[in-house]
Formats: sequence, C-alpha cells, structure tokens
Amino acid sequence: MKKYYPSVRTIHLYVGLFISPIVLIFSISALVLNHTDYINRTNPIKKLPDIKTSIDKIPYDTTDLQTAKGIIKKLRIKGEIDYVSQNDSQISFPVILPGLTTKIKINKQTNEVLITRIEEGSLRATNFLHKMPGPHNVKIRGNSLFMQNWRMIADMVVYLLLFLSASGVFLWYFLKAERKLGWIVIILGAISFTGLLLFLLR
Amino acid sequence: MLIKKITYTNRRLHIHIGLFLVLFIWLFSVSGLLLNHSDWKFASFWEERKQNIKVTPINIPPGLDSIQIIKNMLLQLKISGEVNNVKLTADSIDFSISYPGHVNNIHADFKKSIYIQNEFSYNIWGKLRNLHTFNGANRNNPSLQPNWLLTRVWRFSMDAIAIGLIFLSFSSWMMWYKIRKDYSWGYLTLIAGFAIAIYFVFLLRW
Repeated sequence: MKKYYPSVRTIHLYVGLFISPIVLIFSISALVLNHTDYINRTNPIKKLPDIKTSIDKIPYDTTDLQTAKGIIKKLRIKGEIDYVSQNDSQISFPVILPGLTTKIKINKQTNEVLITRIEEGSLRATNFLHKMPGPHNVKIRGNSLFMQNWRMIADMVVYLLLFLSASGVFLWYFLKAERKLGWIVIILGAISFTGLLLFLLR
Repeated sequence: MLIKKITYTNRRLHIHIGLFLVLFIWLFSVSGLLLNHSDWKFASFWEERKQNIKVTPINIPPGLDSIQIIKNMLLQLKISGEVNNVKLTADSIDFSISYPGHVNNIHADFKKSIYIQNEFSYNIWGKLRNLHTFNGANRNNPSLQPNWLLTRVWRFSMDAIAIGLIFLSFSSWMMWYKIRKDYSWGYLTLIAGFAIAIYFVFLLRW
C-alpha cells in the first residue's frame, strides 16, 4: 500500500486546493444559516427601487414554468425561477441569483409588470448556494443554466470531500510520528460523533 | 525559526483536526447528497414514514402562559425536543416538537382536557436528512434561539465543524505554499477553485 503514498499525496493536495474555496462557501454559509439573527442585524438586506413596465404576448397556454421562463426572457432577467404562483388575475414568481432576489408580478388583464428586487449580499449568497438545489420544488429546480452548473459543482465537491477525508486517513496512517496521537484523535472524534447521535436520535 | 514552528504546528493541526472531523464530514457529505437527490428511490423516507395518532386526557392548570403550558405538557407527556410553531388560543394550543427523524404535532384542547398527538417517525434516510438541517432556526422569526439543549449542542457542533473546515482550507494553502515549487500545478487548481467560488458568490448577480 505504501507504494501508492506519493500519488495519493499529490492527488490529495491538488484536489484539496481545488475544492477549498468551494468548501469555504459551504462552511461560511453553515455559520450564516446557524446565526441568521446575527447576520440580519449586521448585514441588513437592501431593497432596490421597484420597476414598473408592461409586457405583450405572454404564452399562458403552456406550463407555469415555461410561461415564467418566457416572461423573464422578454424582461431580460436572469436567474433560477424558485416557484410560480398563478390565479385568474395575476401570475407571480421569484427569480433568484445568489445574493439577489427579483420578484415579478404580472396583472393578466392589463399585462402590467411590477418588478421588485432585494439585494441580499454575499453572505446570503453563500446561504442560498448551500441550500441549492435542495429537496424543495424538485420538479422545476435547475431551470437556469447556473443552477444546473451549481448542482454539478455541489455534487462534485461532496464526492471530492469524501475522497479527501478517506485519502487523508490513508496518508496519516503512514506517518509513524503522528500515528499514536492520530488514533487518540480519531477515537475522540468517534466518541463525540456517536455520543451526539445517540442522544439526538435516541 | 518561528515560521518553521508555525509550519510544523499547522501541518499537525491539519492532520489531527481532519481526523477528528472525519465522521462528521462523512455524515454531512452523505446527508447533503440525500438532500440534493430527493429522487434517489433507495433513500426515500416520506413514503416509509410511520404515523401514530394518539388521543389522551391531560390536565392543564389554569392561568399559565404558552411557555408554561408547553413545559407542563411536556413533563406530563414525558417527551422532549425542539418546540416549534406554537399557536395559542383561549381554548387550545398547537405546537410541534421534533428531533432528527421524529416530529410530533400536538393539539391540546383545554375545554375537553385532551391532547391529540400526531407523531411521525422517519427511517435512517430521513434521520440523516434531518440531522443536516436540524439547527433550531425559525424561518418566520429568526431572532428565536433553539429552545432544546440538544439542538444547541448540535448547532454548536455544526459551527465547530464549519470552523474546522475553514481551518483545513487555510492550512492546506499554507502547507502547499511551502512546497509550491514541487507542486506548481497548485497555482492553477487553487485559482480555478477561487474562480468558481467568486463567480457564484459575487459575480453572478451583477
């Protein structure tokens, strides 16, 4: 097994360097998600001026998502359509980019459009990315190119992180000087992990 | 000399913090994948949930506020967990109490002196998914803090794991920088990683 050590070390190093900035996104956003109150106090959201406009020929005869896609194409707005809400008089939906939420509301009778935008900042952008694509609105999730790309990146980072942790254990095992302390740390980690899960899951 | 000592300590910390976190990293990696792939049939949990509805008499002393009522009820029911969605009216109180893999929606009727428990238990996949998101955050009122000790402990653990991962990232840069001449592709891989992160966090919305 030791003959693999140099190549595993090289791959561990390059993979680690590559995903480390994206791991930072997930780590910082985990702190943001756990301390939303603090972030709201120190980093308030900024409402941008509303835009009123009108639109012609909305294709209502197709699915809600296709209608919303057609509308944002005409309005030249980019982003992930979160969900679509529609009734006889209006259609409304949020379009999200990391750190910017645009809400579009259209009066079906007059075709008048109200666009409201909320600038949420970079910390909330990490927050959004952390939760995406996520378990909600699965049928329409990934309706923008950036979300399709992010879905791939998020998956890739997780698989590479699993590889990094496994290869890290492999590399440690061949460091005789760190072996004793390493075992103690692994056992402490395992005790904390199982202890917490036993209490939490009963 | 000092730089040498810092480099040595940094390397040791990188190894040992990584080893300590390894099981937590696997847990959050797997549960993250489950959350992003609700369509994985083998990991379905909602369809496999166990539901149990119980109606039981209960005695609520008069003149208590909502917190006191809930505390009193939890003592009588001998249950614990994170309390959410509290709705108090003159005749009833509704709330849910949860821990990973388990949700109990409780309705207490003061006039009839009964409470109805609508209890959901999830399989291992549901528990894993819940563990990933179980931080006691209240979407409707972010200023509310977790009200169950174990939620606070788990949230603290999540914070510690996040800080640990941030340290592992920084320490990896330091370790590579020392040997950058032998691993010159490191520039490219690090820049590529940063380019992706900066694009998604900062540039996409402009």
